[in-house]
Amino acid sequence: MSLVLHDYELDADCYMVRLFLSILGITAETIAVDVHPGHEQRSPVYLALNPRGSLPILVAGDLVLTEAEAILCYLARSEAAGSPFLPDEAAAFGAVMSWLFFARGPLGAATAARLTAMLEAPGDPETLERQARAAFRVMEDHMTSRHLSGASWFVGDGPTLADIALFPPIVLSRDFGIDHDEYPALRRWMRRMRTIPGFITMPGIPDYH
Amino acid sequence: MNLVEGWYAVAIADDIEPGTSAGTRLFDRELVVWRDLAGVSHVWEDRCPHRGMRLSFGFVRGNHIACLYHGWAYDTAGQCRAIPAHPDLAVPETIKVATYHSAEASGLILVHSSLGAEAPPPPAPAPTGRALRSLYVDLAPDVVAERLLRDFTALDDGSYAGTLAGAPVLVFLQPFTATRTGLHLVLAGPGDSVAVSAAAEALRNAFEASSAPALEAAE
Repeated sequence: MSLVLHDYELDADCYMVRLFLSILGITAETIAVDVHPGHEQRSPVYLALNPRGSLPILVAGDLVLTEAEAILCYLARSEAAGSPFLPDEAAAFGAVMSWLFFARGPLGAATAARLTAMLEAPGDPETLERQARAAFRVMEDHMTSRHLSGASWFVGDGPTLADIALFPPIVLSRDFGIDHDEYPALRRWMRRMRTIPGFITMPGIPDYH
Repeated sequence: MNLVEGWYAVAIADDIEPGTSAGTRLFDRELVVWRDLAGVSHVWEDRCPHRGMRLSFGFVRGNHIACLYHGWAYDTAGQCRAIPAHPDLAVPETIKVATYHSAEASGLILVHSSLGAEAPPPPAPAPTGRALRSLYVDLAPDVVAERLLRDFTALDDGSYAGTLAGAPVLVFLQPFTATRTGLHLVLAGPGDSVAVSAAAEALRNAFEASSAPALEAAE
């Protein structure tokens, strides 16, 4: 089935979907949406497609999907042979889903902080930065424990949707003034993310490292 | 507690893998910690002399670190050796990054905080130990030092000896900024590293929680 991704190059959630499409080796038609300064995602045409006025939007035939994490799950489930990125086994599935909700919940402050800093979105930068640092600390402590236990990824023995969903907010955190100085375990994990076949970057993520 | 010029841990040695770099701070000064492909670690001022970009954003190639902005490449002595935009230029000796004295001991990367000056020898390594992890506390270094002294003993090498999750540990304190403190944790005997790490997180959280009302009162 042909896929159409309504996309904005600088949007971290859109990058999350582009990254997973690339890892799966799926080519989607992308339509560039003028988010800044045009706010095209909230134009009447786009509100008809997605009343939430958000990106990304994935269109697969008659199906219109919004919310990046939901799109990741759809893409993983659509793989004919299943995908190790969304494990079937209950405990691993639950752990992945827990991190996906974390990505959209507490870690959402990082995404909001970046949009406030870069694209003049409303929000209190100080509050968002404090919340983002609290979320990053949760991730850092988790990956420190994982490293001390000999594990490399957020869940299980290989990369999952948890890693894909948690990666953009922290790797782009310098866009809103949070350095990676305090996150040695996340630095190690972010370097490992680059080894996933099909890994791609976006503006703000150096090709070199 | 006397947080003065001297040797301080700034990273767990294993956290700076060969061919990688990271930024850190000591007394609010920005430092880059990087390890060349030969395995030698370096600690420099985190500033490319060209445009002031943090070198920790850059990338290590062989035994050079290159700036992310324009690729100016520096050898292990901090001397600029290549400017990609001027490939035929003999790079002047004056283009040099300020370097700190650094050493590795007890599985830590230690740096002497006085830039450029002669440095006394670094602290002797702990006889046995495994460097576990770094933590960062949202409190002033002297406040963290005072809190540590309630349960830990200050040693001559600047570390704090105590017990976490029933295991003997050494904690090395890094004055990060005026409001943040790094702690580098060494397991100094037998112990469950994951449990010790979790106990250190609990200690960090307790420090911050107990100090929050005091901060408000001070305002």
